[in-house]
Amino acid sequence: MKHIALAAMLGLAAVLPVQAQTVVKHLHITSIPAEVELMNQIAADFMAANPDIKVELPFLENEAFKAKLTTLLQSADAPDVFHSWGGGVFYEQAKAGFLRPVEDVLSQEAKDNQGQAGVSAFTAPDGHIYGVARDVSEVVLWYNKALFEQAGVDPATLATWDGFLAAVQKFKDAGITPLALGGKDKWPAHFWWSKLVVRLAGQDGFNAAARGEGDGFAGEDFVKAGDYFLQLAQLEPWQEGFLAAGYGDASGYFGDGKAAMHLMGDWDYGAMKDNSANKQGIPDDQLGILPFPTIEGGKGDPTDTLGGLGGILFSKNASDAAVKWVEFFNSAAQQKKYADGAYYIPIAKGAADGMTNPFKVQIARNIGGAHWHALFFDQALGPNVGGVVNDVSAELAANSIAADEAAELIKEAVDESL
Amino acid sequence: MTSIAAPGSGEATVAARRRRYMERKSLVPLLLFLVPSLVLFSIFVVLPMVDAAIFSFFSWNGYGPITDFVGLDNYADVLKHRNFGTAVRNSLIVVAVSLLIQLPLAMWCAIALAERSIPINLLRTLFFLPFMLAEVAAGLIWKFVYDGNYGLLPVIGDSLGVQMPFVLGDKFWVIPAIMLVITWKYFGFHMMIFIAGLQAIPSEVIEAARLDGVKRWQIVRHIKIPMIRSAIVISVFFAITGALQLFDLIIPLSNGGPSHSSHTIVTFLYQFGILRMKLGFGGAVSVLLFIACVIVALAYRRILFKVEQN
Repeated sequence: MKHIALAAMLGLAAVLPVQAQTVVKHLHITSIPAEVELMNQIAADFMAANPDIKVELPFLENEAFKAKLTTLLQSADAPDVFHSWGGGVFYEQAKAGFLRPVEDVLSQEAKDNQGQAGVSAFTAPDGHIYGVARDVSEVVLWYNKALFEQAGVDPATLATWDGFLAAVQKFKDAGITPLALGGKDKWPAHFWWSKLVVRLAGQDGFNAAARGEGDGFAGEDFVKAGDYFLQLAQLEPWQEGFLAAGYGDASGYFGDGKAAMHLMGDWDYGAMKDNSANKQGIPDDQLGILPFPTIEGGKGDPTDTLGGLGGILFSKNASDAAVKWVEFFNSAAQQKKYADGAYYIPIAKGAADGMTNPFKVQIARNIGGAHWHALFFDQALGPNVGGVVNDVSAELAANSIAADEAAELIKEAVDESL
Repeated sequence: MTSIAAPGSGEATVAARRRRYMERKSLVPLLLFLVPSLVLFSIFVVLPMVDAAIFSFFSWNGYGPITDFVGLDNYADVLKHRNFGTAVRNSLIVVAVSLLIQLPLAMWCAIALAERSIPINLLRTLFFLPFMLAEVAAGLIWKFVYDGNYGLLPVIGDSLGVQMPFVLGDKFWVIPAIMLVITWKYFGFHMMIFIAGLQAIPSEVIEAARLDGVKRWQIVRHIKIPMIRSAIVISVFFAITGALQLFDLIIPLSNGGPSHSSHTIVTFLYQFGILRMKLGFGGAVSVLLFIACVIVALAYRRILFKVEQN
């Protein structure tokens, strides 16, 4: 079968240059109708200026995209360019030879446009550049000002971990759920472990552990991260039944004003409204962002952030026309439209300058000033290790695993994949 | 069912037909008609099965050529995986519940509802409805029923003055909760099979028994159940293999959680084989499951054969 598929692909590649129009297939995961409309518009503008190129925009829903991409990339129907969260999955794709190195084709302007962080995010360990960075996101502690007032908690006291735990207790005493958590989906729980690791181990510690150096993820800082997580879990800070709640449930719970805080990505600003019972969520003047509490003796830099760095990768059959399209799509002039619509925070230099949403502006500033913008650990570590991190995080949140056992399980998964 | 109505006659006609085929030497059209289904069966059933069996000896994440031969490592990994035992236990619980609760319940309903009348037909349709519902839809409906914040269960609990647990978030309650949904979903199917069998029993037999003063329970025990034996045989087989392959109800209900406590063998395979991109590992699980199913099927045939001889 594989030979037939390969032959078909080669055949296709041989035929394409003869055709008048080069087709560029850009597989995306955008589902919000207005955002799709914007993407179509940008493609139409591009095609008007480049009549020899035809841009197609096939769509796959987020989860379906993850499940299907592996097969799709090896089929005759492989897209030319496609969405990526970077990290371990991207490295696997590069290693298997499914991607096209573009460092020689991509214009200097398009490289500079993304900044150093963007370029290095889509450079594989082999040194080749396989894509461009498109957007950034950050996990922050969203909080409900009205509930803070009601419980008499001063947000400033949450700057340190001890202060944070004290505040959680205060909310408990006041009969308010301190934190919303979508434990069924597990990845929301892994944000807690990740943020603690970012604070305690820092960039160098994390990278060394990911390479399996020393004690790896069974090292002191990672056991400590588990211990701190358990300190929090022992206060029973989550909403009742959090293990049965998915992300959407938890987001709605927070949006309905039932929990004081929610550790979640900047996308929760829109999702919290959409998931709430009245579709309004928490009004802007009641909503706030807190930095994750700092921990005394932690090796991380206080400016470190955790989040995503999304981008677009080129598959191995991508033409130069595909590169041209992505350069156009990812230019500051086009990306500005996404910033104006508050769909995401574009990475293209200057594109986010006109952003007016105060939360997105602050998050963009956080990431811009970060010493280390840690990629979502479950993405950075690849699907297998990332899956184990998600598993143990959910168990830590439920206070049903010891910190050293949790650390050991992650280390085992890393050892196995090295 | 005709063989029950008129024992022997069905087999006789089949034998006669077969003889006629042989006489006309019509093997060619036979093969010709078999080809389409054979081709489809090979492409969509046999080939993937062989593929999965090959994967199970390699370490492969789905990308690139399959080169990393690891022998039986994947099988060892499966057997010592910390969640595999739970998945097997859960699958066995599903089998047990299907056989010990679901089928007797279906039988009881079938006996009660085998008559033909409009109210009984309505009831029968009502019991059969859950089976017609798509598994994912049924799972989502029950997820809502069980939801501890907005669901039906806490409402019922409140009216009784009882604090209901978040069943799908509780390692203990999640299993009974899923079993309830499985029973609700599939007992109607078995009930229908039994009813079809019961309706094929000649009414004279029952009437004769009644005239002889045989009690109601004895009629069920000694006439009805033995006479729908073949329906029961089929039901038991479906119940066991269906239980071993249970997947699509679990995903929307609990997704195998909390803490992987409600996985069946197939959701375990999907979670740790497909989603974590360890296709060799997944292949090993599927081969083990396949072997289990084959053993069940062969053992079942053998046992039935023995019973028949006795």
